[in-house]
Amino acid sequence: MNTAIPVLAAQNLVVEYRQHRAVDNLNLQIPQGCVYALLGGNGAGKSTTISTFLTFNRPSSGQVLIEGESPHTNAELVRAKLAYLPENVALYDVMSGLENLTYFCTLANIRLSSDQAHDLLLDSGLQADAHQKRVAAYSKGMRQKVGLAIASAKQAKAMLLDEPTSGLDPSAANDFAQRIRAAADRGMAVLMATHDLFNAKQVADRIGIMKNGRLLEEFDAHTVQHDELEQKYLAHARGLA
Amino acid sequence: MIKTIIRKEFLATLRDGRLLTLGVALLVLFAGFFLASAYELQQLRAEKHSVGTTAKEQWNTQSVKNPHAAAHYGIYVFKQDTPVAALDPGLRPYIGQALWLEPHKRNLTRFSPAADQVLAGRFGQATTSFVLTALLPLLIVALTFNSISQERESGTLRMLHSLGVDAGQLLFGKLLGLMTAFSVVLAPALLLAAVILLGNFAFTLDDVLRLLALLVLLNLYYGIFAALAISASASFNTSRTTLFCLLGFWLASVFIAPRLGVVGAEILAPNPSASEFWREIKEDIDHGLEHDGDHEERAKAFEAQVLAQYGVSRKEDLPVGFVSLNRQYNDAYSVKVHALHFDALRDNFVRQQHLSHLGSWLGPSLALRSLSMTLAGMDLAHQRHFEDAAEEYRHYFINLTEDWDRERSRGTERKATGAEADWRSVADFSYQAPDIGFALRTAKLDFLVLLLWLGLSIGLLRISARRLVP
Ligand SMILES: Nc1ncnc2c1ncn2[C@@H]1O[C@H](COP(=O)(O)OP(=O)(O)O)[C@@H](O)[C@H]1O
Ligand SMILES: [Mg+2]
Repeated sequence: MNTAIPVLAAQNLVVEYRQHRAVDNLNLQIPQGCVYALLGGNGAGKSTTISTFLTFNRPSSGQVLIEGESPHTNAELVRAKLAYLPENVALYDVMSGLENLTYFCTLANIRLSSDQAHDLLLDSGLQADAHQKRVAAYSKGMRQKVGLAIASAKQAKAMLLDEPTSGLDPSAANDFAQRIRAAADRGMAVLMATHDLFNAKQVADRIGIMKNGRLLEEFDAHTVQHDELEQKYLAHARGLA
Repeated sequence: MIKTIIRKEFLATLRDGRLLTLGVALLVLFAGFFLASAYELQQLRAEKHSVGTTAKEQWNTQSVKNPHAAAHYGIYVFKQDTPVAALDPGLRPYIGQALWLEPHKRNLTRFSPAADQVLAGRFGQATTSFVLTALLPLLIVALTFNSISQERESGTLRMLHSLGVDAGQLLFGKLLGLMTAFSVVLAPALLLAAVILLGNFAFTLDDVLRLLALLVLLNLYYGIFAALAISASASFNTSRTTLFCLLGFWLASVFIAPRLGVVGAEILAPNPSASEFWREIKEDIDHGLEHDGDHEERAKAFEAQVLAQYGVSRKEDLPVGFVSLNRQYNDAYSVKVHALHFDALRDNFVRQQHLSHLGSWLGPSLALRSLSMTLAGMDLAHQRHFEDAAEEYRHYFINLTEDWDRERSRGTERKATGAEADWRSVADFSYQAPDIGFALRTAKLDFLVLLLWLGLSIGLLRISARRLVP
């Protein structure tokens, strides 16, 4: 694998909804093993950015690239290389976690034995006694775990997370952060949208502050001080900086 | 992939409490209506059989009398319905059940043209067929209106998209999965219907074929609704909009289209009024059809011809009864005129039925309803087939009595008589209903309309798949 090509990249990306510019000239590069946190308040354009990688949206100009290729010209890329985890992992309530995992995997052309499916769920932190229960009875954290299991089953190159920890209790959020970190350490590139500074600092390698569709500032998460980051974030949020 | 989707949709639909509740409600409703329909049909069949037999027995046991007087006693005949009519009584509510056969005059069973109604487009009341053709599509709509919008709202559609699921396969998988689940829910009701039918009626192979054909067509019909509902669900933004649109479509298809069709047919191909109809027949008999001369001219010509034929100069010298001979001649002429007008009227009913498809652009219900009626043998074409057979039987027994009258009399005297042995020698009316081939030929246009709707709904489903926004 050529490590020079970032797994995820946005080049002069502009995405518009009718007249409204949701993403404005965004440039991003996320290499293998890197967790990139897009930090910003509501309406900053984080979800739109993620959606564009997944081809839910089309760029008005500029482009997104997955290992150097545009998913908008090669639709297969999304299926082959991306895993997606929204804030509320969408699953079918009348089916069990195990059935959801198997169904989604089969549709993605991944054949799982029953043992493999159980292992994936266990590895993602879902207790064995929950596997056969209907998802309707799951907590948000449990759904996230099924989502993670699907992502691991895909053996994706990159994972796109949209507010993954919002609404999780602190210990579940912490547990989730560690799993993301572990996935990145195995070589996965991660793009994570969040408005939670603490969460960004905890998991990310790089942090970009986004507002009104623009990337205002980038930080190395390992070197930036929490206080400094917090001040900048708040200043940007208030429109001071 | 599509198999996985079908299987999942099937299971998910079955697990969804809605379907089960609806299924049970449906079973109860259907069982109620169906039992009532089957019972009604059975009663009717028994009654027709018994009245028919009694009528013929009364005919048989007439006293010694003039054969023509006996003919005036008349015979009632009945069209025996197929067991399939338990599912769809078709035009029965609007059609007279008995046909009175008498000399000189051909009677109408069903249509009084005076009513000025296009019976072809009429819908039955709350019957089994109402459940099958109107309520079940509503159930389909209730089950499918949010099949895609729900996935969009919950986010699973994006999940599927990110997994590279082909939208076409997803939509068609949903269609097939839902239809399978629907069949499973419907199965107990159908099974019950089959048990009741087989237990109470003698089935011929033709009846079974008709029943199966009806089942296939009903499934296509439900498929049309399901495909349209899924398309709508994929295309509209919210479940609510989808539901309103689909309910509108259902109303239009089930209730408005038939009425619209009827109105259109009435305007474009009006029926004569009853008085007009009978007056024209009388006029044509009195004044004669083209080149035939009026009644008096024809009578004179006929008398001259008979005298020449028997080589006598006076009616009184004829070796056979002239009264009967003359009557037979007049009746034959009347039959010819009646047939002309009856056929014209009934051709107009067919034309109206075809024209009523002007309402079919609003939905497939009109076509299905018409197909179902035809397969149940309860439509105009089957009625006409029966009436023609009855008319032939009328000629048969009237001519027989005239033969006796003529042969047993001479000149102008009226002395011929017949006795019970004669009356008894008139064969019973035994009617052979046409086979399914007849039904299918009759329903060609309806079938075509249904297929067009099927094509349209599948086409729309493909378009929605191509344009599906996750
Ligand atoms: N489907 C949509 N149609 C129109 N505008 C949208 C749509 N989705 C998002 N927007 C707008 O685009 C901007 C960015 O939204 P989004 O990407 O969801 O922001 P974030 O995820 O950072 O909260 C917002 O102003 C939002 O109102
Ligand atoms: Mg968002």
